[in-house]
Amino acid sequence: MHPPLARIAAVNVGTQARWLSRTLGRGGGTSLPGLLAQRIDAGLVGALAGELGHGCVLVTGTNGKTTTTRMLADVARRFGWTVLSNREGSNLLRGVATVLLDHSSRAGHLDVPEESIGIFEVDEGALPGAIDTLRPRLVVITNLFRDQLDRYFEVDFVARLWATALRRLPADATLVINADDAQVAYLGEEVSGGVAYYGLEDVRHAHGGLEHAADSRRCPRCGTDLHYERSFYAHLGHYGCGQCGWRRPAPRVAGWRVELSALEGTELEASTAVGNRVFQVPLPGLFNAYNALGAIAGASALGINPAVIEEAVAGASGAFGRLERFRVGDTLVCLLLVKNPSGFNQALRLVLDESQAEPVHLLLALNDNGPDGRDVSWIWDVDLELCAQDGVEFIMAAGERAHDLALRLKYAGMAVGDPGSGSPTDRTVVVEEDVVRAFWRAVERTPPGATLYVLPSYTAMWRLRENLAARRYVPRFYEQVELALAAA
Amino acid sequence: MKLTIAHLYPTVMSQYGDRGNLVALLQRCHRRGIDTEVLELNLGAVVDGDGVDLLLIGGGADSHQRLISEDLIEIKGPGIRRAVEGGAAGLAICAGYQLFGHYYRTADGTDLPGLGIFDAHTVHRAAEIGARLDTITQAGEVRAVGNLVLRWGDRNLVGFENHGGRTYLHPGAQPLGEVVVGQGNNSQDGHEGCVYRNLIGTYLHGPALPKNPHLVDHLISDALRRHDAGMVLPRLDDQVEWRAHTCALDRTSPGVSRRRVSPRRWPSGGRRAGRASGAPSVPA
Repeated sequence: MHPPLARIAAVNVGTQARWLSRTLGRGGGTSLPGLLAQRIDAGLVGALAGELGHGCVLVTGTNGKTTTTRMLADVARRFGWTVLSNREGSNLLRGVATVLLDHSSRAGHLDVPEESIGIFEVDEGALPGAIDTLRPRLVVITNLFRDQLDRYFEVDFVARLWATALRRLPADATLVINADDAQVAYLGEEVSGGVAYYGLEDVRHAHGGLEHAADSRRCPRCGTDLHYERSFYAHLGHYGCGQCGWRRPAPRVAGWRVELSALEGTELEASTAVGNRVFQVPLPGLFNAYNALGAIAGASALGINPAVIEEAVAGASGAFGRLERFRVGDTLVCLLLVKNPSGFNQALRLVLDESQAEPVHLLLALNDNGPDGRDVSWIWDVDLELCAQDGVEFIMAAGERAHDLALRLKYAGMAVGDPGSGSPTDRTVVVEEDVVRAFWRAVERTPPGATLYVLPSYTAMWRLRENLAARRYVPRFYEQVELALAAA
Repeated sequence: MKLTIAHLYPTVMSQYGDRGNLVALLQRCHRRGIDTEVLELNLGAVVDGDGVDLLLIGGGADSHQRLISEDLIEIKGPGIRRAVEGGAAGLAICAGYQLFGHYYRTADGTDLPGLGIFDAHTVHRAAEIGARLDTITQAGEVRAVGNLVLRWGDRNLVGFENHGGRTYLHPGAQPLGEVVVGQGNNSQDGHEGCVYRNLIGTYLHGPALPKNPHLVDHLISDALRRHDAGMVLPRLDDQVEWRAHTCALDRTSPGVSRRRVSPRRWPSGGRRAGRASGAPSVPA
């Protein structure tokens, strides 16, 4: 059947825009082509996605959605499917549109083999539209933390938004959700279709009580304070309600044994449909153990056998800026994107675990542009008191809101030097607003062979990476996509 | 000398880094050798109206307000009233501020009763105009979100606001200050916050206190005057605080997009609302 003329026009305009924006070097062009094409034909995304032989998967949540999407896509690719995924690009519907356009013929059809699947990361706020447009067969939800409240307002609002949207899922769709996050787990009670839970059972990594960054402490069913038997970090843990009796659902994919070895990665023994299996996860921290569990649960729901999942997970790599390691002269640089209190706390713990007895050299960078969150209040929910301990050699505070960081560090117990002063003493916070200049100053102060840890907010990372890419220390992010695709 | 702080609903009412307010209060006391005691008063706990010097309540979502409304009035209300009438200092942020007024009409149109200590009431914008809140976009349209700068006496207060409710002061109620940048109480009359005796209500997050050291010291002074009427706080080295304060002013612009705002002081002629209207309270 011939697609309508508008579709053909939309596909061609989008493809041209994609080519143009890449040729002109205006970023990766992951958003504009899709936006243009959608304007011309609103039914474009749904129609193209409908041509995918194995349908669509959506992954959302506050933290871990990029990494989980990548792992799941790796698994499906290793299974032999052609995977369409917004690996590094926009996670709004227009980003999905751009990916579909990239794989479309001029006749307005998707140009992929029959064995194909779409695995897309979607923004929390974009989930309802994505569900209605893409009619997914599987939705994976990682967690719900407070993040960019200037854009999402209230955590409760996002939960309600999801619950309403999930009721419109196709009847045969599966929902894969984190059992350890009460608000997310409760979504399973509100849908009629299939639900598969994943969670952590290795209680050696748990502790009593909740961190400052804990958001969801109340029973989503009756509003009473939840009783936490234990928590792994933030509000992720084992909980139950003393009032109405609702409790954490038993996870089908459960991490029974998690052996963390700091930045090197994690050995994860998890229960699957065919018994316990051991997964080597080359990404650090408990949060990546959760991401792996989500990907394993998602892949299992797609009917992919554990042996393939094991191989794919073992080959996983960090997403854009989530964990990048590279060398600048004699200095090792480790780049960890921080977006919200929970992620920041996880990154800090990781850095301190990794460096053990070694002195820590730290560059924190905070901007307040749209993608960072215009409200910088959230740094007060981060346990920056951790930085005031022995072993933290120096901290540089950078970014457009460097002075907010410096103030936060002062109230966390650190001395703050005068900006621009000549020779700051050790364990003094140095302020340098320009993130690029701050980076090179920090590199200078890091002894040869030591590691500089860089924890930037989104646009600060963008700016720094641009400078480093121009100097060839890191690939540009769409080059990275192509390298990854070539390797796959 | 010891300062006793009643932190109301610390686990429920804490949004946008509000715990930074408590950190700022405690540290600025400790740096001056003033002892502090923090009473964490959750649901069910009463307020000792004579033993409390400073009341603190943070922000939260509608659901949090629903959860505490009855407890606030029935269990804690008498003690809070006694403390405020007795001259205790207080800071109520955002959702907490709203419940210190007569009532808060939520987005779905139901009225949550408040303490009525502030002669004011609050209505969610969605309830005012009958808007639906089904998408992020719809929810965003009815909220006041952005940097907030207000004129407080002859100085500025800086922070961030993020609220769906619009607060209307009744005749005679005293605003905290006048909006310089942002929306404040209700986006219309140029007022921001409310003051009754030594109790301050405001929409300032940021959090409100660390970047406004003069506001912290104002609260500490008021609280300590219950013990020593002639008390004067020693000065502290506040360079780091004032740099963050100034940086927040510099980053502020009334436009939606301010990606290319050059670092400079906010021009005094650029204010949206003058100081002339209303009667802003004057800090000590």
